[in-house]
Amino acid sequence: MITTQTSPTGGGGLLSPRSPNSQPPFLSVSVTDPAKMGNGVQAYISYKVVTKTNFPEYQGPEKIVIRRYTDFVWLNDRLFEKYKGIFIPPLPEKNTVEKFRFSAEFIEMRRQSLDTFVNRIASHHELQQSEDLRTFLQADEQTMERARSQDTGIFKKKPSDLMQIFRDVQSKVTDVVLGKEKPVEESNPEYEKLKRYIFELEDHVAEAQKHAYRLVKRHRELGQSLADFGNAIKLLGACEGDALGTAFSELGAKSEMLSYKLQREAHHLLMNFEEPLKDYVRAVQSIKGTIAERANAFRQQCELAESIKLKEIDLNKLRLLRSEKMLDAEHEYEELKADGQEATRRFETIVRLMNEEIVRFQDQKTQDMGRAFHEFAKGQARLANAIADAWRSLLPKLDSLSVS
Amino acid sequence: MITTQRSPTGGGGGGSQSPRSPSSQPPFLSVSVTDPAKMGNGVQAYISYKVITKTNLPEYQGSEKIVIRRYTDFVWLCDRLFEKYKGIFIPPLPEKSTVEKFRFSAEFIEMRRQALDTFVNRIALHHELQQSEDLRTFLQADEQTMERARSQDTGIFKKKPSDLMSIFRGVQSKVTDVVLGKEKPVEESNSEYDKFKKYIFELEDHLAEAQKHAYRLVKRHRELGQSLADFGKAIKLLGACEGDALGTAFSELGAKSEMLSIKLQREAHHLLMNFEEPLKDYVRAVQSIKGTITERANAFRQQCELTETIKLKEIDLNKMRLIRSEKMLDAEHEYEELKVAGQEATRRFETIVKLMNEEIVRFQDQKTQDMGRAFHEFAKGQARLANAIADAWRSLIPKLDSLSVS
Repeated sequence: MITTQTSPTGGGGLLSPRSPNSQPPFLSVSVTDPAKMGNGVQAYISYKVVTKTNFPEYQGPEKIVIRRYTDFVWLNDRLFEKYKGIFIPPLPEKNTVEKFRFSAEFIEMRRQSLDTFVNRIASHHELQQSEDLRTFLQADEQTMERARSQDTGIFKKKPSDLMQIFRDVQSKVTDVVLGKEKPVEESNPEYEKLKRYIFELEDHVAEAQKHAYRLVKRHRELGQSLADFGNAIKLLGACEGDALGTAFSELGAKSEMLSYKLQREAHHLLMNFEEPLKDYVRAVQSIKGTIAERANAFRQQCELAESIKLKEIDLNKLRLLRSEKMLDAEHEYEELKADGQEATRRFETIVRLMNEEIVRFQDQKTQDMGRAFHEFAKGQARLANAIADAWRSLLPKLDSLSVS
Repeated sequence: MITTQRSPTGGGGGGSQSPRSPSSQPPFLSVSVTDPAKMGNGVQAYISYKVITKTNLPEYQGSEKIVIRRYTDFVWLCDRLFEKYKGIFIPPLPEKSTVEKFRFSAEFIEMRRQALDTFVNRIALHHELQQSEDLRTFLQADEQTMERARSQDTGIFKKKPSDLMSIFRGVQSKVTDVVLGKEKPVEESNSEYDKFKKYIFELEDHLAEAQKHAYRLVKRHRELGQSLADFGKAIKLLGACEGDALGTAFSELGAKSEMLSIKLQREAHHLLMNFEEPLKDYVRAVQSIKGTITERANAFRQQCELTETIKLKEIDLNKMRLIRSEKMLDAEHEYEELKVAGQEATRRFETIVKLMNEEIVRFQDQKTQDMGRAFHEFAKGQARLANAIADAWRSLIPKLDSLSVS
């Protein structure tokens, strides 16, 4: 599911000759062709990432590279670190259940999510200019590998740690919200409302997604039962013979046909409804990460403001005493003031970006959820109509049997 | 589910009161089993039923009679009829429930009441069985008389209800043994009848399988309904959290889900009572037929054995005549007795054959009707549910459309 973001530069998808001024700028990416590489526990899936663009910063109109899940994680981490304030598009989870890791369904769901991930970045007016994105989309595999290993600290992490980062951030934010740390919170009622909404939303969407997944399961189970039932009724029909036997056989055949439709609807529900809900959950978790970044930036700003005040008091003391340490103190004071200005700038940038992001998020989620629930209602109605038609078509025949 | 049987006397089943002038109205016998009530406490507790009889048949005590009966009384009646009317397919009884915790559930009690009502009505509508004296006892006797009748029966009658099934099981294995030729091969060589036997055995397997899967379908409806209810509730909470157009859409979707969940539970119940129960009833009917098949095989075997014995006795007798033995008179008496017994055995067997031929025709018609009705209920209920589901979701699509205008 690709969300189209109207970027200031517009977006399109056509190949264009290398004359950047003759066509509107576009950057179009697709993640395709999952292929299993390696053997045993080392095995993994690689994807083809195809980039078509006329951006001058890029190497050419089309580029194909091979990437794996950890490369996407690297990109996500870099963007999260560099674009504080922006809601970084979410990644699909690392799958820890071994036996599903290479199932066709899992691979396809992951490919779709990764495709959505990259496209959201490519459609975002700020993120699409990222140098790390360019590296991700164009660098050969050696360069990519080197970039991945160069990162130290929180970057040099296994993908499963990404979730751990979020969890830490979550608890940090909770601590901040609960006032467990020094109460250095913004007093911004609008922002408070947003934070409360995001926390509540995460619970409710996760709950809805859990039950949506159960619905998928129930469809599969009902479909299986209908198939078994149809098979048993057909055998019964073969045993009975005559009008009754014919009626049984037709009923059995209808059951098996409907069972097949139920399985198809279960798959449709999974891909077009349950996945978007899962995507929504991840997006909200990503926002929580940004909320934590903002809290950190605010706290840094406050701490520096404190330090500057204390330093000023110190400095004045030293001036009175005409101390020889005064010059050094003056230097430190100037440095602190510069840091303070930098911290303030960083925090204000985050606030500004977040304000834009919140608007973008509200619109996008309304569209995405509207579409997902539309798919849900449409699929359910379509299935139900097929079921009703199938059974109604049998009623005349069954009527004639029970003429009493 | 009451099956209407045309009796030779021309009366169908009716339900109106009539004055005591048997010639002015067609004869009728109408019974209903109602008002289940829990009696007693603890492990001794049981369910009693009101059995209401309305009739103008002269053998009965009056135009209306109400008695109280329990499951074991029905079992007694079934046993007596099975013993006395060999050749007739005795209507089947619902099983004794051995699972303690379900014994007094509302659903189980209602299903049993329906099955017992069907049982008695089938007997009352059967042109032979309705004349049974045991039926009259069952429908009219006061509880003391009923209790005495139950305890007077000895041998295979004086059994706990669960033994009815073990009788059938014993009978089943006997029939299987006979069919597999494990006993002395004394089988009829009647190809029509063989075809029928093979059909009945195959039918039982297929029916039991179909009934099992019908029950699973009921379960799946319940599970889907429960999931839809949970889902609806979660979506409503999500809607309350979101607010605006999205929140309204969610809340409506949640409300529809909860409404459909109720319909699914109702359809599950409808499936259980109007489809799965009739299938179970069909399975029991086929098992009852297997009992009759065994009775016929026993009667045939008895006839054959007596014929053998008579032949051997004749040879003995002739020997004794030649040597002018003094035992000859006794032997002649035994021979005559054996011949009478042989005629009786033949008569009994031929009655069973005649009755079974009529019963097979009756059974085919009845089952076609019953199954036609059951599957009609199935298709109707499923279609009705599906249409309701389709309508509910379609009604939401315009609202959801307006959200995702892109």
